[in-house]
Amino acid sequence: MKNALALMTLAAALASTSSLAIAQTTDGVLTVATIGEPPTLDVIQTATDIVLTIDQHIFETLYTYDNEWRSVPLLALAMPEISEDGLTYRIPLREGVTFHDGSDLDAKDVTASLTRWMAVNSKGKQVAEVVESLSEDGPNTVVVKLKSRYAPLLATFSQASVIMPSEKIADTLTEFVGTGPYALKERKPDQYTQLVRFDGYKSPEGEPSNYAGKRVAIAKEIRFVPVPDANTRVEGLISGQFDFADSLPVSAYERVEASGKAKAVIYENTGWASLNMNMKEGLLTRKELRQAVQAALNPNDMMLAAFSDERFFSVDASIFPKGSLWYTEAGVARYGEGDPEEAGKLLADAGYDGTPLRLMTSRQYEFHYKIGEVAKAYLEAAGFKVDLQVVDWATLTTRRADPKEWDIFITHSNFPGDPTTINTITDSYPGWYVSDQKAAAVAAYMDAVSDADKQKAWEGIQTVIYDDAPLFKVGNFNAVTGVGAGIADYTPTYWPHFWNVTPKQ
Amino acid sequence: MARIVRALLKRLGGMAIVLALVVTVVFVIVRVTPGDPAAVMLGSDATPEDIAELRTKMGLDAPLIAQYGQFVLGIVQGDLGQSIFLDQPVTSALAARAEPTFFLTLFSILIAVAIALPVGILSAVKRGTLFDQVVVTLTMVAASVPSFWLGLMLIQVFAVGQGWFPASGYGGPDTSFLERLHHLVLPAVALGIVNSALITRFTRAAMLDVLGDDYVRTARAKGASERRVILKHALKNALIPIITVIGLSIAMLVAGAVVTETVFGLPGVGNLVVSAVLRRDYPVIQGTLLVVAAIYVLINFIVDMLYILVDPRVRL
Repeated sequence: MKNALALMTLAAALASTSSLAIAQTTDGVLTVATIGEPPTLDVIQTATDIVLTIDQHIFETLYTYDNEWRSVPLLALAMPEISEDGLTYRIPLREGVTFHDGSDLDAKDVTASLTRWMAVNSKGKQVAEVVESLSEDGPNTVVVKLKSRYAPLLATFSQASVIMPSEKIADTLTEFVGTGPYALKERKPDQYTQLVRFDGYKSPEGEPSNYAGKRVAIAKEIRFVPVPDANTRVEGLISGQFDFADSLPVSAYERVEASGKAKAVIYENTGWASLNMNMKEGLLTRKELRQAVQAALNPNDMMLAAFSDERFFSVDASIFPKGSLWYTEAGVARYGEGDPEEAGKLLADAGYDGTPLRLMTSRQYEFHYKIGEVAKAYLEAAGFKVDLQVVDWATLTTRRADPKEWDIFITHSNFPGDPTTINTITDSYPGWYVSDQKAAAVAAYMDAVSDADKQKAWEGIQTVIYDDAPLFKVGNFNAVTGVGAGIADYTPTYWPHFWNVTPKQ
Repeated sequence: MARIVRALLKRLGGMAIVLALVVTVVFVIVRVTPGDPAAVMLGSDATPEDIAELRTKMGLDAPLIAQYGQFVLGIVQGDLGQSIFLDQPVTSALAARAEPTFFLTLFSILIAVAIALPVGILSAVKRGTLFDQVVVTLTMVAASVPSFWLGLMLIQVFAVGQGWFPASGYGGPDTSFLERLHHLVLPAVALGIVNSALITRFTRAAMLDVLGDDYVRTARAKGASERRVILKHALKNALIPIITVIGLSIAMLVAGAVVTETVFGLPGVGNLVVSAVLRRDYPVIQGTLLVVAAIYVLINFIVDMLYILVDPRVRL
């Protein structure tokens, strides 16, 4: 989730030009340097950022996120009609939408796609547990019946739950056919993924807002080129080889700005870094010790070490950032300067015996490593004995699945559309955060229907999270991307998108 | 003749043993290295249940001995397996990356040899002069420079500054063969310079060894021109260590100029190996390393054969 205020301001500033600019299509090509090759284009199976970035041009979901990260219609015609008991959702579909293969979108495609999503995707499987049935009511209406109320339903229908023709659905996808403004033409792994304008595209209406609103494929073609080396992305952008470069190092900001050939764009509150604690086995099964970890740490110093400059991060105890629907300071505790005395007292009360605290981090994300180094210093100052284990990311993701292997691991996440889809809240996510008070707070949220009720319920969840201490939120970080000179109407979003973007002439 | 055939068969047998060892060691190493392709593929949202399910689907939960047997059987049938991430056979993935790696190796070694042979010979002939001292210093510097740093400097000057070459990649869908080769110029220069340092030093040392020998003095006494003495008499006898180091350089380039390919975003074999290791794409790691090892031992075999051509006294 981003700084909504900043985005709205930016959107307003761009609105006057974008409305005019998107009236025209061009023969231009946009070359986009990405951080690497997507492992697959099957976003239902692998919903990582790089896959979502590319796939959002090819595929569409029933709903999508607007500037405030509310779910608004995309392939759906309107918001769902929800029954009084909150258990039945009737979703009308837009008519006249066609797939890239020329077939028409209908309710059967939607139920088939969502069925696969609920069988394959991690979030989809969670939804499957509460879905009683999924059916069609005529060609243009889908009916979802739930076993119990489920507040995040529309948020989960807004990401990765993409719709494809029912006849193309298979265990392993071989054809990537969607309804998006661009169609897949060719993918050469480690070389490029080539998308071309879909002339039969039927756009939703409305002013562009984050991923919502009118979409026009202005560029004839988009080429996503994997460039794993960040410095090469910078140099390629400045030399004019790339029109857009994703995830630039913060140290490159000044150089890009000074080049006169590209512009660095800061995207605020891209994500947040956290230390996740093991509540299943080992030292941190004791709540006092988890709270001692919280009390010992200084988030500002950790973020400063990781991101060098305050332009690129913010320290904020609220799990969601300012400007978000979910921003709240409810329940905040043991967050701020780092208090070794309080931490020491908690350690003494817990009878800490000097067992090393295994802090696992990775250099694949350099900021994880830097956060880990500063965390180690603060934890040791509070009296912990720390065993900092630096491994590659693949090793970390394997080890963290075994509760015997670690006490804390460092990771980062984006801000999802619905707060209850953050990983830590899931019982089975490494850390294994299971508590009665969490379950009660989450149940209250699931029962909420209005945004106001959901906000209040989320305050309860955040309060419980600070008390149970399954994690320590370090801070929010911003992303730096680069846009080449001559590229017009680019609006920053979490997953960069290139419809409505005018390539250089 | 029979002796040569026997020797050749013996050498081929040795190569087969080396490759069998490589297959086994690589298989074991990738399996004991922590990290799970299923976890990498599913991303950070995946639950342990999702990961276990995908492992089963991929056949990764089968007993190791069964996986090993399947791998070896595949090799015998010319099948290196199916990439977990690329959704294509490993042989196809390798074939797609052969072109940039082949031409990068070729251009790099041509540049290296074109620099190293004349400079190394001249440096030896002019031993102790200012030229020799400059060569010794520059080769020391070039050998110490990391290829990725040199690559970035070349990008800075010739791609960003002059705009003569692309900074990265191997072209797009409509790029011609010549344009693709254009993408290889900067990485080939970076690798060529770094490799030329080592070859220059070996050439200089080998030439210094032979220039003081009796047969060189005799050739000069017979009135042979200095050019003939150096190129015909001295260089021919100095070639064995030079061929060895050139062979090693080629083998290392084929094995993957890993860092250079990453810096320049080239979709070559080195890049494939790095991506595969990071993703724990077992079939690609195993298959690629097997092919690279095969090329490595083949190049060594060719180098050994060249010894015989250069020096008839050498026996297999």
